[in-house]
Amino acid sequence: MHKTAKRSAKAAAAGVLALTLALTGCGSGNNSSNTGSKDNTSGGNASPAAAGDDNAPVTFSVFMSGPGQQPTPDNKILKLMKDKTGVSFNMEFLVGDLQQKLGVMIAGGDYPDIMSGDDKLINAKAYIPLEDLIEKYAPNLKKHYADVWNQIKDESDGHIYVLPSYGVYQGKITEPTYQGPGFWLQKKVLEEMGYPTPKTLDEYFDIIAKYKEKHPDVIGFESLNFDWRVFPLQNAPEHLSGHPNDGAVVVDNNVAQIFADKDMAKDYYKKLNEINAQGLMDKEAFVQNYDQYLAKIASGKVVGMFDQHWNFQDGETSLISQGKIEDTYIGFPLLYPGAEEWYRDRGAVGTNRGFGISINAKDPERIIKFWDQMITEEWQKTIQWGVKGEDYEVNADGSFYRTPEQRANADKTSWQVANKITGMHGYMPKIQGTYSDGNAADPGTQPQEFFDSLKPYDQKILKAYNKKSWSEFFKEPKENYIYFPAYSIVLKDGSPAQLAQSKLNDLQVKFLPKAIMASPAEFEGVWQDYVDKIHKLDIKAYEDRMNEGIQQRIEKWSVK
Amino acid sequence: MSDAVLDKQVKKQKTRRSKVDPEIGVSLSWKTLKIQKQLIFMSVPIAIYLIIFNYVPVWGWIMAFQNYRPALSFGQQEWVGFQQFKFLFSDETFMLVLRNTVAMSFINLVLGTVTAIGLALLLNEIRAKFFKRIVQSISYLPHFLSWVIAAGIVATSLSIDDGIVNVILMKLHLIKEPIMWLSEGKYFWGIVGASNVWKEVGWGTIIYLAAITSIDPSLYEAASIDGATRLQKMRFVTLPGIKATFVILLIMNIGHILDAGFELQYLLGNGLTIDYSQTIDIFVIKYGISMGNYSLATAAGIFKTIVSVVLVFMANYTAKRLGEERLI
Repeated sequence: MHKTAKRSAKAAAAGVLALTLALTGCGSGNNSSNTGSKDNTSGGNASPAAAGDDNAPVTFSVFMSGPGQQPTPDNKILKLMKDKTGVSFNMEFLVGDLQQKLGVMIAGGDYPDIMSGDDKLINAKAYIPLEDLIEKYAPNLKKHYADVWNQIKDESDGHIYVLPSYGVYQGKITEPTYQGPGFWLQKKVLEEMGYPTPKTLDEYFDIIAKYKEKHPDVIGFESLNFDWRVFPLQNAPEHLSGHPNDGAVVVDNNVAQIFADKDMAKDYYKKLNEINAQGLMDKEAFVQNYDQYLAKIASGKVVGMFDQHWNFQDGETSLISQGKIEDTYIGFPLLYPGAEEWYRDRGAVGTNRGFGISINAKDPERIIKFWDQMITEEWQKTIQWGVKGEDYEVNADGSFYRTPEQRANADKTSWQVANKITGMHGYMPKIQGTYSDGNAADPGTQPQEFFDSLKPYDQKILKAYNKKSWSEFFKEPKENYIYFPAYSIVLKDGSPAQLAQSKLNDLQVKFLPKAIMASPAEFEGVWQDYVDKIHKLDIKAYEDRMNEGIQQRIEKWSVK
Repeated sequence: MSDAVLDKQVKKQKTRRSKVDPEIGVSLSWKTLKIQKQLIFMSVPIAIYLIIFNYVPVWGWIMAFQNYRPALSFGQQEWVGFQQFKFLFSDETFMLVLRNTVAMSFINLVLGTVTAIGLALLLNEIRAKFFKRIVQSISYLPHFLSWVIAAGIVATSLSIDDGIVNVILMKLHLIKEPIMWLSEGKYFWGIVGASNVWKEVGWGTIIYLAAITSIDPSLYEAASIDGATRLQKMRFVTLPGIKATFVILLIMNIGHILDAGFELQYLLGNGLTIDYSQTIDIFVIKYGISMGNYSLATAAGIFKTIVSVVLVFMANYTAKRLGEERLI
């Protein structure tokens, strides 16, 4: 359960990222730089004799495993793609249940030319291996994926079936909207308290306590312990102690161990136990479901919580639409004394997210050549930013920005379906980070552009903290370890390791709320009981499997 | 075809039927098959349906004795004998979920039957048709909600933050502080029972109401003449009148005693109540299907089936011994 949880977490994160891109806009049209790009790429990839054939009109069918909006028939970007490459698409977005749809596709062997990545389809051998095609026809893609080449191979047979859409960065990672874990506080609370920057748990809960004293109606600290969304309760200790998000283990010097029974966990839950006794903790935190959790956040009554931003973002979106922007949140990286911060991480490559070519595809060569062209910087700018002069402007020092009208346009759904290909772009290979000219991959990650598009209230808060974006409250992410993240190491179905992990999760779900809600005098007893029960499990099997996986990745994934 | 011919045929049939052994009822011969060909024809699709969906899957029970891996062919599977069953019965969690399942199921069975009969009796006494219909509609509408929605309503009503249950209890001065209903294991079974009653009572009532309408009105008249009061008529006419329905339904429901449900417990349960909320079905999802351990899930399924079959036969036998209506 844990494994799927984390994977869905990443999926959701990817979705949110796609949404961010969608909201910040891109577009297209005809301008000199685009024309130039096309000529360059086709010149570089195709032999002159074949160039004529290469642009012959062709239509590919595409299946995308998530719901999405069809672009209009005269969509600006699609038209441009057709004009320059001859390629057009017949897009199918998911309607209804994915597993059912995949089951029908697999049973009938009825695959479109291009399909988004999925383990089920990989297991059904529905994709063709891509590595030879890339070697032969796609130098740009080869370059794009060079650093992660070994990682994107399928674990079982070493072929590349899916080209990951997210997680391959170049240049600098600029991520103004922070989506990861943190201890969050409402902006109005910070404003009233004179813009403090809490660094430890004590400082953080002190702010909440003081605020609640003045406003007794609010909920001090919120948490969630529901279904697979247990990370708001379980993951805080690893971040407090300076580890990145590896799931249920912390990894030091390439050795993984669980932290649930360690002091780093105990200290945190003891603190929660104390604040519960002070009445700061939401009494209902551990009995509510996800919808109730979101509803509480959307009510604006929750002062703070530990969570990943994407997990409660729906609540925040609701606050914004209610015009309560001062009730939205800023995250802080709290730490134990002496720990070094590692909250932000460079998201791992989503190996089964993206596009693959099906075994039924008419012309795999043509598809790979098309994607190869699309990954060039000029095309990426067109897809992610739009057309210069139409969807964005360039100022004197060469950095991209948008006028207020362009921003307003980009927010409109009707404009998006006619001028962007957000849905399909979410699955295509893409540049993230910055282009070689220093501009960010898309308007949503361009620092100045991001700041200028904020509401005045947010700008005021950021100015008070002397920052330009929300993610600046966190340290720049370190380079990922080669095995990162440990939580994506596959546990064999039905293995003792998997059983131990599941039982450990059960114990946490049951005992952590118990420990937190116990009276402070009883805390030690409950904790001891909990630790004893953990030690009865076959934790060693789980840790051994994690360490085995880490060693395998170090060996196989390193690009030599 | 003239009437005379028809008559002759019918006569022929009758004579043939008279030869049939009355104990067996129908003797199977090509001739009877031919005469009843429409009937046979109509039942063929149903038989095929049953074979495909209810008998063929029994083949899958073999999985319970293997360490089943989906990608391998039948010959490549590893045989493990009763290992999956041993794991089930040695796992302390399984014993706990078995207890919870039986307990919640028993509560649902008793509460569900009693309230359904009670409501049927009361509705039967109402003479104002309009009012009766409104009560009936309101009471069976929740049946059409999915448990996802129903559980959301239950959770919201039990919330300490303006939940209707706590508000009412506070207003009545029965409690001083709002109670966190969903945080205590000891309340959980009761909440499940009550939720089931709320959702299903109207639906369960329908069949009893139907049974009541089939009671001969002359019995009521006779009772009135003998001077029976309303309550006495309920006690001595209505209740015995629906006894057969009650026994049949009871036998059928006993077969489902290990199906305490899945959705409600899954959606309302949380870490604090897990020792009381987890049912066999949740256990199967967690340790079987989501871990890819289909063999364990199958073993648990077989266990459930065997227990159900044994219980149904026991109930049926008891009913027979007591001289009651029975199912088989």
